[in-house]
Amino acid sequence: MLWLKQLYHSLFGKEISMIRVIKVAYLKKLVVSLLIVFLLGCAPGSTLTYYHDPSMDFAAVRSVAVMPFENLSREQNAGERVRDVFANSLLSTGAVYVIPSGEVSRGIARAGMVNPAVPSMEEIGKFAGIIRVDAVITGTVTEYGQVRSGNTTANVISMNVQMIEVQALRTVWTASATKGGISIWDRLFGAGGEPMNDVTMAAVNDVLNKLFM
Amino acid sequence: MFSINFSCKIVICLLILLVCLSGCSATNNQTISLTDEHPPPGKKLLVAVLPLTNLSSTPAPLDEISQLLLGIFKQQGLDILPAQTLESFIEKHRIRYAGGIDETTARDFRYETGADAVLITSVELYSDVPPPKIALTCRLVSTGNNPKILWMDGVGLAGDDSLGILELSLIEDPRELLEKALSQLSTSLGNYLAGKSYWTDSQRDIVKFWPKRFYRSPILEREWKYTVAVVPFFNLSERRYAGEIIALNFVEQMMIQRKFSVIEPGIVRQLLLEMRIIMDDGISLADAHALFSKLNADLILAGKIFDYQDYPGTSGKAKVDFSALAIERRSREVVWVCQSHNEGDYGVFFFDWGQINTAHVMASEMVASALETLAE
Repeated sequence: MLWLKQLYHSLFGKEISMIRVIKVAYLKKLVVSLLIVFLLGCAPGSTLTYYHDPSMDFAAVRSVAVMPFENLSREQNAGERVRDVFANSLLSTGAVYVIPSGEVSRGIARAGMVNPAVPSMEEIGKFAGIIRVDAVITGTVTEYGQVRSGNTTANVISMNVQMIEVQALRTVWTASATKGGISIWDRLFGAGGEPMNDVTMAAVNDVLNKLFM
Repeated sequence: MFSINFSCKIVICLLILLVCLSGCSATNNQTISLTDEHPPPGKKLLVAVLPLTNLSSTPAPLDEISQLLLGIFKQQGLDILPAQTLESFIEKHRIRYAGGIDETTARDFRYETGADAVLITSVELYSDVPPPKIALTCRLVSTGNNPKILWMDGVGLAGDDSLGILELSLIEDPRELLEKALSQLSTSLGNYLAGKSYWTDSQRDIVKFWPKRFYRSPILEREWKYTVAVVPFFNLSERRYAGEIIALNFVEQMMIQRKFSVIEPGIVRQLLLEMRIIMDDGISLADAHALFSKLNADLILAGKIFDYQDYPGTSGKAKVDFSALAIERRSREVVWVCQSHNEGDYGVFFFDWGQINTAHVMASEMVASALETLAE
C-alpha cells in the first residue's frame, strides 16, 4: 500500500494518512470482487452433470449403437441433427465403433421397437442381439434453437445422453450438457450468439469429454 | 403306359429347355465391371444430349437452357445426335429418368443410335429474381457395355458475385448469366475433348471449408485409387432433391480430384430400384452388402443432408450442412465419416468481400475438402 501513498503524494503534493490508504485499498478490492461476480453472472449458460458406473470396464465396449434422440424442442429434426453430430464425434474419437444409423434403423424395425428414442430394457436386449453391439446410447434434446431476452437472441442447446450396457442391461453412463445462451457480449453488441452448429458441437464435446474421463 | 425310351426323351427335352432358359437369364446377373474400353479424350464423339433434369425445385426455362447448351456444345465440335432419333429412342425404351444412365440403356444407346456418349445435365438452381442465380452440373457418360463418366463439371453463379467498381460488373439479366455459366461448362468440355486437363487447381480457403469433424479408419490404404459408388444422401433439409444434389457434388469432386474411380450414379440408382432398397435413415450394412454383390465398388458413400439453402434476391445467405460416411467392401465397416457445415458469410467482415452466394459453390468446396480427408 506504500505505492498508493507515494502516488497520492506525487499527484497532489501532500501526504495521505495510512488509514485513508487502507480504506482506498479495500474499496478497490471490493469493486474488483463485485466486477468478477457480475461478469460470472453474465456468462453464457454452460452446465454439465454426469454419472459413471464405477464397476464398469468401459474399455470392453467396442461397438455402440446410437439410437434416435428424443426431441423435446420446438425445432423439427433437432434430435436427428444432434444424434448425427454425436455419433460422428464418437466415431471420430477412434475409441469405439459406431454402427451406422441405417443399420440401427434396420435393427429397430426388426426388433419391433415401439418408441426407439425411449426403449425398454427388453427391447434393447432384443435389438442388441440383432445388431450385435456392446452398448446402446439413447439421448434427449430438451432445448435446441434460439432464446430471446429483450432485443437479444442467441442459440442454445440442452441435451442428455445415457449408455446402456447390453449384457447386464444397466445404465453405466449418463451425461448432460447445456451450451450457448445470451452472453454479456451479445447483450452489449447484439452479436446474435454462436451459430447453432457450433453450439451443438461444443455441447457434444463436453458430453464426450465426460465419457472418456 | 409310357415306355422307358419315351420317358427318357421327355426328360432330355426338359433338360435342354432348362439349359436354354438359364442361358437366357444370365445377362442381368453379371457383376458390373469398369474395365472395358471407353472413347479416349480427343476422339470426335457422337453425343446424345438427354433432356435436362430440374433439381432446383422451382420452375426453370429448361427448353431455353437446352437450346443454348446444344448451340454452345456444337461450337465445341461435338456431333449431336439428331433430336428425332433421340426422341424415338426415348419413346421406344420408355425412358423417364434423365438424371443418369443405367447399363442396359447405355448398351442400347450404343447399338441402336450409334452414340458414343450421353450428356446428362442437371439444373440445381435457377432464380431470375435480381440478381439472378444459376447452378448447373453436366457430365458426359460413355455408352456401350459398361458406362463410365468421361467428364463432369459444374458451375454456380450469381449476378452479384463480382460487383466491381460502382457495381459495373453486376449482371441483372438471367440470360446473360446463363450464357456465362454455359460458356464456362463449354470451355471445360472443350478442354476435355482436346485431351487437355479441364480441372483447375482449387484456390479455396482450406480452413474455411475443412470438415468440422472427420474420421478415417487405418484400414484404408494410402495412395490407392478406390472405386466408389455414391448413393443419394438422406434428405433432412427443406430443399427438395438436396440428397441428389449433394451426391452429384461428391461425384463431380471425385472426378475432378482424379483420386477415385466413380461408378455412374444412374447404375447405382437402377440397382437400388431393382433390389427395392429403401434407405430409411441412411444405408444399412445389409443394403451395402447387397450393393457390393452387384457392383464392382470398393466403397459405398452415403450420408445425410441437413441444410442446402439458396436464397433469391439479395437478402439471405447460402447454407450447407451435411454428414457423409463410407462403407468398405472387405471389412463391411464404416471406414470414413465426415461432418461439415458452412454459411456463405462465414469469415466475411467488410463489404461482402469473399461472400459465397450459391450453395453449389460452397458445397463443391466443402465436398472437395472432405474428400481430401478420405484420399489423404
